[in-house]
Amino acid sequence: MKEKPLLLAFVLVAALGCDSLPGRPDPADRYQRPSEVEDFALLYATHCSGCHGADGRNGPATNLGDPLYAALADPVEVRRVIAEGVAGTPMPVFAQTGGGTLTEKQLNILAEGLKAGLNGSESASRLRGAPPLTAKAGVRGQASTAQLARGEQAYATYCARCHGAEGTGGASGGSLLEPAFLGLVSDQALRTTVIVGREDLGMPGWQGAGERPMTAAEVSDVVAWLGSHRSSAGDAASGVSIK
Amino acid sequence: MNRLRAIGKWFDDRLALGRLYDQSLGHRIPFSSSSWWYVFGSATLLCLIIQLVTGVCLALVYVPSPDQAYASLEYLDYEQPLGWYLRGLHFWGSNFMVALVTIHLVQIFLFGAYKYPRELTWMVGSALFLATIGMAFTGQTMRFDQDAYWGVEIIVSILGRLPLVGEAATHLLQGGPIVGAETLSRFFTLHVFVIPATLIGLLVIHIRLVLVLGISEYPEPGKVVDPDTYADEYEQVVERTGIRLMPEGGGKDLVFSALVLMAIVLCAALIGPKIPNGPADPSLIHTVPRPDFYFLSLFAAFALMPPDLESFVIVYVMPLAVVLLFAVPFISRGGERHPSRRPGAVILVILVLTGLFTLAWEGVVSPWSPEMDAWSGVPVQPRFVEDRSPLEHMGATVLQAKQCRNCHALDGAGGKRGPDLAGVATRLTEDQLIRQVLQGGGNMPAYGNHLSPHEVSALVAFLTTLHAEGQAPARDSASWARSARESPGSR
Ligand code: HEC
Ligand code: HEC
Ligand code: HEC
Repeated sequence: MKEKPLLLAFVLVAALGCDSLPGRPDPADRYQRPSEVEDFALLYATHCSGCHGADGRNGPATNLGDPLYAALADPVEVRRVIAEGVAGTPMPVFAQTGGGTLTEKQLNILAEGLKAGLNGSESASRLRGAPPLTAKAGVRGQASTAQLARGEQAYATYCARCHGAEGTGGASGGSLLEPAFLGLVSDQALRTTVIVGREDLGMPGWQGAGERPMTAAEVSDVVAWLGSHRSSAGDAASGVSIK
Repeated sequence: MNRLRAIGKWFDDRLALGRLYDQSLGHRIPFSSSSWWYVFGSATLLCLIIQLVTGVCLALVYVPSPDQAYASLEYLDYEQPLGWYLRGLHFWGSNFMVALVTIHLVQIFLFGAYKYPRELTWMVGSALFLATIGMAFTGQTMRFDQDAYWGVEIIVSILGRLPLVGEAATHLLQGGPIVGAETLSRFFTLHVFVIPATLIGLLVIHIRLVLVLGISEYPEPGKVVDPDTYADEYEQVVERTGIRLMPEGGGKDLVFSALVLMAIVLCAALIGPKIPNGPADPSLIHTVPRPDFYFLSLFAAFALMPPDLESFVIVYVMPLAVVLLFAVPFISRGGERHPSRRPGAVILVILVLTGLFTLAWEGVVSPWSPEMDAWSGVPVQPRFVEDRSPLEHMGATVLQAKQCRNCHALDGAGGKRGPDLAGVATRLTEDQLIRQVLQGGGNMPAYGNHLSPHEVSALVAFLTTLHAEGQAPARDSASWARSARESPGSR
């Protein structure tokens, strides 16, 4: 009679033990069709980390992992960029409707995930006076001579100490005026870099570039000035991405 | 006690169990053949029994139809209690069976045990070896996942190239002109009816031969097999030193089989079954399907072979290899048995095994298959991003966007089809880099028409930064002059 509970306990331990053996397939490893993946981290790792870096930082393309980016980004615009890509730049089309691999649902998950922040989001109090991350339509394209002069001025104030007086490279930043670079980058990407910065590579954002934070106008001006160095108007990236 | 004995005798009178024992488990073997070298055959038999038992259990759940095969495996893996363990036992049982039957074959070959009078034993054994391979081959197809496609494709392409019968044979195996719903049923029938029945039939003959001809005595250098006198000599050896297989001679077999059983049970528990890697749906195939380990060498051989050689190999080399395998006992019928007196045989074994293992290793690395997701899913490591200019960053992005990374690793991460680019600037000058990118060559597509001039400039700017730490980039005199001109200010 006494053995019964013991026996029961043994069977229980054995059964539970078997269930936690390392050979037991982990449902997490279960194969998922690529179109069924709904985990933001996994989607980001498979489709975006190649260019934007493992955690959104330290990659060759735009820094999406900065908490500042998460705080300032407009999720609708982010979703549009992921879906449609940026023509003339290496940012590819991801929507299935455009020949990409991601479903509508996955595009939403990515946009929401980036807005929530790959590394958290900056608190609102530190964003006071931040220039809008997305340029308004019509702001650029036909920059006036006056704007270019203001842009050159802003460049000298905020950027020259690192990127050199001429913009062709300096003490702690490379050339910004290489035709091939400007030819493959959109004004929006330049704008994002100026506002968010690349802290991962030692470039401050709009708040830290100079002695005082840059104004929204200065950001637009400096981007227009950089853009004016494109080798030809036909450069793929010169007229795109901003609606 | 007496009553029991009486019952035993009653049965023995009718079934002649005592006589059966004398002629089978109790038959006399030379003392020298109770050796650790002689345990592989019985261990293979143990694996077969495990496979039969677990296979029958699996067949209770498995549904051999294309749309349900995969789902029934997932059911076993995740829902049925210990279903995964059953799959694990069957999977590891098959791995061990293939390994052990191969070792058994090599051992028999090295010990010259196939010589007179055991030619037929060898031939039936070779057929058993092929049947085991056939079981493994059709077995991995039962998973009907993306890897299973490999098996189907390869066998179909092999059969298809046979002269005259090729088309009919593929049609028969596929159950139609293409790989389709019928194909799985055909493979299932082979896996659970045709090949096992053949295997068991052959095994009966094999064991009968072993019992009739006796287990070969342990080889001794200098002792030759002479067909005229061998039978008598063997009889004398058994007379002089013979012991009963059971219980005296087979202890080592039992110990080894127990070890194998434990290994299978443990592997199944600790490593588990192979998880099916996605339904066999051609539209899903992202990576090159890859077979289980025992076919990796075949997989590699076919991947590495120049296409025009494939037909030759399939039509001539493979059949010839099989014929040679069966002909072994007729090529060397008598003579020395000990490996130290048969260097040719030893060298042959070493060559074949080295070849198989090298190919299998190639199969594991499979440098020929691009990594389809590398361009978007394998980050450019931070150390290739640090201290680089905006243009160079753009180049790295172009490298990803143009999917160069699918073939080219950076410091080990990425595809292995082309050379690792981590140190490429040490090897190639800027001009050579431009030429390689624009013109391709040596299995690399030409990108001349697919890259804008800006993309080429950015790409090459990035590539020229890729030289090993502390090593000067490869340069020609022209680029020295150019960079000297360009450099004031730029880094
Ligand atoms: C092949 C490289 C590459 C891949 C892969 C890639 N991107 Fe990009 N991405 C870029 C580049 C380059 C830019 C800058 C484009 C430009 O000049 O506007 C960019 C820009 C962006 C922007 C706009 C940033 C801004 O300025 O506001 C977003 C958002 C973005 N990418 C998200 C993603 C997401 C999400 C993925 C994965 C689904 C992804 N990217 C995959 C290269 C890539
Ligand atoms: C504190 C130094 C510093 C200042 C100030 C600075 N940058 Fe940068 N910038 C960098 C560094 C470092 C990089 C990384 C690339 C490099 O090393 O060249 C960079 C990169 C860039 C990039 C390319 C991003 C990329 O992915 O490579 C742009 C565009 C850029 N800076 C624009 C500007 C503009 C416009 C200003 C002025 C508003 C500015 N920078 C001010 C240091 C600086
Ligand atoms: C289909 C696979 C494939 C793709 C895609 C590919 N390559 Fe290659 N690449 C190769 C192979 C294979 C070689 C070796 C050629 C040889 O042996 O001559 C090679 C060689 C090279 C070399 C010379 C390396 C050396 O050490 O000699 C460079 C540089 C290179 N590729 C750059 C690129 C760039 C840039 C791209 C993208 C625009 C690219 N490759 C795309 C397969 C590929």
